[in-house]
Amino acid sequence: MNDRRHRRMTGMTTTTTPCLLEAERVTCAVPQAASAEHAAPSTSRHASFRWPWKRGAAPKSADQSGQSDQSDRMTGSAQSASGTKTIFHDLSFTVRGGDVVDLIGPSGSGKSTLLTTLAQLNPHATATMRLDGTDAGGMTPERWRRLVAYLPQRPTLIGETVRDAILLPFTLKVHQKDDQGNPVNEPAPGEDTIRRTLDRVGCGDIELDRSPQDLSVGQQARVCMLRTLLTRPRVMLADEVDAGLDDENADKVGEILAYAAGEGMAIIRVRHRPADGRATRTWRLADGALTELEAHEAHRHEQADRAAMDAEGKGDQL
Amino acid sequence: MSDLTANTGVYPIDLWGLAITVALVAVSAGLSWIMRLGVERRMLWATMRSLAQLLAMGYVIKYVILWNNPWICFALIAVMILAAIQITLTRASNIPKGLAPQVLLTLAVCVVLQISVVIELIVRPHPWYAPAVLVTMTGMLLGNVVAATAVAMSRFFSDMKARRYEVEMMLALGATPFEAAKPSISASVKMGMIPTISQLASSGIVLIPGMMAGQVIAGADPIMAGKYQFVVLAVISALTLIADSLIMILVYRTSFTDRDQYRADL
Repeated sequence: MNDRRHRRMTGMTTTTTPCLLEAERVTCAVPQAASAEHAAPSTSRHASFRWPWKRGAAPKSADQSGQSDQSDRMTGSAQSASGTKTIFHDLSFTVRGGDVVDLIGPSGSGKSTLLTTLAQLNPHATATMRLDGTDAGGMTPERWRRLVAYLPQRPTLIGETVRDAILLPFTLKVHQKDDQGNPVNEPAPGEDTIRRTLDRVGCGDIELDRSPQDLSVGQQARVCMLRTLLTRPRVMLADEVDAGLDDENADKVGEILAYAAGEGMAIIRVRHRPADGRATRTWRLADGALTELEAHEAHRHEQADRAAMDAEGKGDQL
Repeated sequence: MSDLTANTGVYPIDLWGLAITVALVAVSAGLSWIMRLGVERRMLWATMRSLAQLLAMGYVIKYVILWNNPWICFALIAVMILAAIQITLTRASNIPKGLAPQVLLTLAVCVVLQISVVIELIVRPHPWYAPAVLVTMTGMLLGNVVAATAVAMSRFFSDMKARRYEVEMMLALGATPFEAAKPSISASVKMGMIPTISQLASSGIVLIPGMMAGQVIAGADPIMAGKYQFVVLAVISALTLIADSLIMILVYRTSFTDRDQYRADL
């Protein structure tokens, strides 16, 4: 396991920037009544029939009073009525190009939340971040997300064909204009490139003209991963890409991510599988604290977390 | 003004007529109650409300016409717009609070366009603020625009909720809020326009629209009534499309934070 990792690391080119992503004061606090708020409009449907013309005026949750209260929540300050739950607080870390970081921790510890925070996708989280020395505030959130790409756990493909689904990112403005509005040269990958990368992750049987809805969930997950990889982000935040894959295909996914890391990308993976030996670092997120583990520790913690999850009945999807 | 009052009573509707109408509604509501359709109370309430409102409006328009003063005419239109905002916001279910300014702007733009373009360029009444034309035309426009924008808004927010994972995926790939919301925006505008477009296309074949029917019943030349009806329908459709697009542009941002994140808590 270890020797394979070393082999990859020694083969790595040394042209990458040493410090790719720096993050400080990474904090996330969510309002606790979040789940109850969703139920509010539907429960009021059968409320008393006093004002029939106010059919749509179902009592709305407290936090819908517009944009003004948002800044409060985004900075994590406590909400008066419902209170907040701190997922993690004041984390700091750096990631270098070529890193493959495995993020482990008990289920519910906020691993996915940490990934969405790094991609600036989480409205309840704040962080001070720099990418290649550029402050996060120095670019649009879209530019940041194009460079620090979050790959959601749930595969979502849109378009008539697999080809359309994979080329979707290149139809977006962020791949056509830079933040100043000047055209950028980011050509969409050609047919050959798409075919070759699909073959490499065990999707050789997927024709590009097929409808993405016909694919199995495992195939969809891999197509989603390729869609993000082909946009060449600087950092890839992969949220359980290999869930639901058999060992062989999970290994192919690990391999292509490791290859991308060898090209200078940084990868942070959330996985619910035994370590595949491709991670160069392991972080453990538990009780709101993030710790970097030594290799031998990592293995032990990871096994304990997985055992706990199996006991809860939400074991990894093997 | 004299021929206007002459027109109103070709076949007058007396108290009995109103009573029979209400009785028919009551029968249909009774049917709904027997079949447990659950619309009877809302139907009855809406009927009584519309009777009261239409009679009140009739009196108001009557006096506004008698007064024949532009200020009063525009004050009435302003009140109609305010009422239209309230109706839009309550009719659109499950939309976030605080959208009244956007609705106001949309309705105001439509009314101003209608008054300046349609009334003053096409109908050209004398005096230019002729309440009989201004108030009634504005009323017809607002009715349509309110229905369309209410449908479009509720469809938009429910569609954004249904497309949650798609929206988050697109944002994660670097899409702007507009790019991520665009499928919902176009679906909602289409949805809001369906009744308007189908009314426009079917008018005259299976459907004689209320305005034309009213004019013909009141003794007007059917050809003239047809022209009027076409102008009104086409213009209202165009303004409704403008209103739908405008309200979408004004509200889609509500689904996102100012850092372009999707607000799942809406």
